[in-house]
Amino acid sequence: MKLKKPVFKMNAHLGYIFFGLALCLVPMLVEFGILRSSYITLVGSVIIYSIAAIGLNLLLGWSGLISLGTAGFMGLAAYIAAYLTVDLKLPFEVGLLMALAIPLIIGILVGLVSLKIEGMYLAIATLSVSEILRKSFEELGFITNGFSGKTAGYPKLLGFFQLDRNMTYVLLVIFLVGVMILIHNLINGQMGRALNAMRGSEAAAQAMGVHLLKYRLVAFALATGLAALSGVLYIHFIKYTYPPTWSLGMSLNILSAIIIGGVRNIYGTILGVFVVFAAPDLFLKNIPYFGSMPGFAYIINGLLIILVIMFYPNGLIYLGSDMKKLWIKWKAKVNR
Amino acid sequence: MSTPTMLQDGIVLKLDGLSIAFGGLKAVDNLNFEIKEREIFGLIGPNGAGKTTVFNCITQFYKPNHGNIYFRDKHGNITNLIDHPVHEIINLGLVRTFQNVELIRELSILDNVLIGAHIDFKSSLLAQALKTKKARAEETALRNEAIEILQFLGISARMHLPVGGQPYGILKKVELARTLMCHPKLIILDEPAAGLNEIETVNLAQVIRTIRDRYACAILLVEHDMRLVMDVCDKICAINFGKFLAVGTPKEIQRNPDVQTAYLGEKESDL
Repeated sequence: MKLKKPVFKMNAHLGYIFFGLALCLVPMLVEFGILRSSYITLVGSVIIYSIAAIGLNLLLGWSGLISLGTAGFMGLAAYIAAYLTVDLKLPFEVGLLMALAIPLIIGILVGLVSLKIEGMYLAIATLSVSEILRKSFEELGFITNGFSGKTAGYPKLLGFFQLDRNMTYVLLVIFLVGVMILIHNLINGQMGRALNAMRGSEAAAQAMGVHLLKYRLVAFALATGLAALSGVLYIHFIKYTYPPTWSLGMSLNILSAIIIGGVRNIYGTILGVFVVFAAPDLFLKNIPYFGSMPGFAYIINGLLIILVIMFYPNGLIYLGSDMKKLWIKWKAKVNR
Repeated sequence: MSTPTMLQDGIVLKLDGLSIAFGGLKAVDNLNFEIKEREIFGLIGPNGAGKTTVFNCITQFYKPNHGNIYFRDKHGNITNLIDHPVHEIINLGLVRTFQNVELIRELSILDNVLIGAHIDFKSSLLAQALKTKKARAEETALRNEAIEILQFLGISARMHLPVGGQPYGILKKVELARTLMCHPKLIILDEPAAGLNEIETVNLAQVIRTIRDRYACAILLVEHDMRLVMDVCDKICAINFGKFLAVGTPKEIQRNPDVQTAYLGEKESDL
């Protein structure tokens, strides 16, 4: 017997909007002095990386294709946005569009290649694209400033509305919620089923009329598009970029966030990004002795990946609902 | 090249000199047969006779080396299947199941069936992302259709459960349901009774006949369970080592000496 019946089943879109509103509380809590000011940057980066991670999840989780090129595309978009808005003094919106378009084209080219190479080899190919991009950031100094790095400002919307840090943070939240809703709609409709079918059985997918090339291109386009969006938001929020940020480590961190948080789960992806990118700064640093050890976060990260894959392959996001099930079972036992 | 006169009235599929070789092995060698509309047609042969290869050639997973496959599509146009890429075959009204059930474990039964309606979704990706009124209406209509098919096959009670972990008999039915979503002219069943118990097999024969009557389609099946084949098929074609042996009604096939030899071996006196 169920003790409590939910009054209404929460609409998924409404859930995403509430989630966004909850994120917007962070700057307020900082104003009231409850949270430290650095939390805005921390949660802001989680939001930024989450957007790229949702894109990669679309590729890895739903379509069963792998990419280690996320960081390269993020960096490319960040540099394009910085160059266009700072050096060429173009508006934020133009920078955003260009920084989305160029990586998108490269992403689609990679998608074309993906029909010929699979698995490990696709991972290597995407990694090389990413490394070529990173090397270009180092070498093309007249655009990227090389190792000195490149700076940009907070976005100026429509040419006159200059945002400050808190407002840029809200802009990040708006982008994240928008991405969550759009991706939610896509994966729960025809496209999501086609991607799932492609992952489950290419033969069955083709027999049902799924054009493999089209959907691989769509998956790669969306993933690189979201990585690029994430890169643009990065440069306008963190305001500084230099080549080592966009190395393999970043791609692997985003990949591990998906695995730890939850493959094929939007909230899970964000939880994973939080665990991988924010938890080290928030919790691990406070552990005596180990906390100050360099690379300690990586060790925890690796352990988590092993534990999750072995014992909890759906990801940590299901921890809550599984606990609830156990709790209901336990309650029923006690009541009896 | 396809010539419209290649298909007589009332014929839905015709194999014309179909051949395919893998290296030196002739898997299918100059095979000819015709399937009439609304006919249940069995393709039999000992293990390795090339039955599944024939299926893969018809559905364009393999491109045959020689020969043509003529098909009367949904709109009554005659077309040569070898001119079409594999993912377009379903648009013509030709759909198949697989020997080892090919479903997506993580998705619900209902969603798996909806994959069969992939080609019926007309709204663009952008419309889907924005969930426009049209896209929602389309989704609801096809979802209702899928539920109807699941009810017809008697598995609608489980439709929201994930496919992974369902018994084999159910999975076979889900695959059948998936083929029905596209309003087929011809359904190709690759060993539909494999892995089913006796009661399920008897039930399956009934289901196959009902599908034929309800959807007015022809059915081509490969099957090792001879009782099912003899029970359900109107006509049977027997092949061995990729070569044509005989075609006829179940009774004729049972009496055919070539077929008996292929299945049971030569008589001792002939050796």
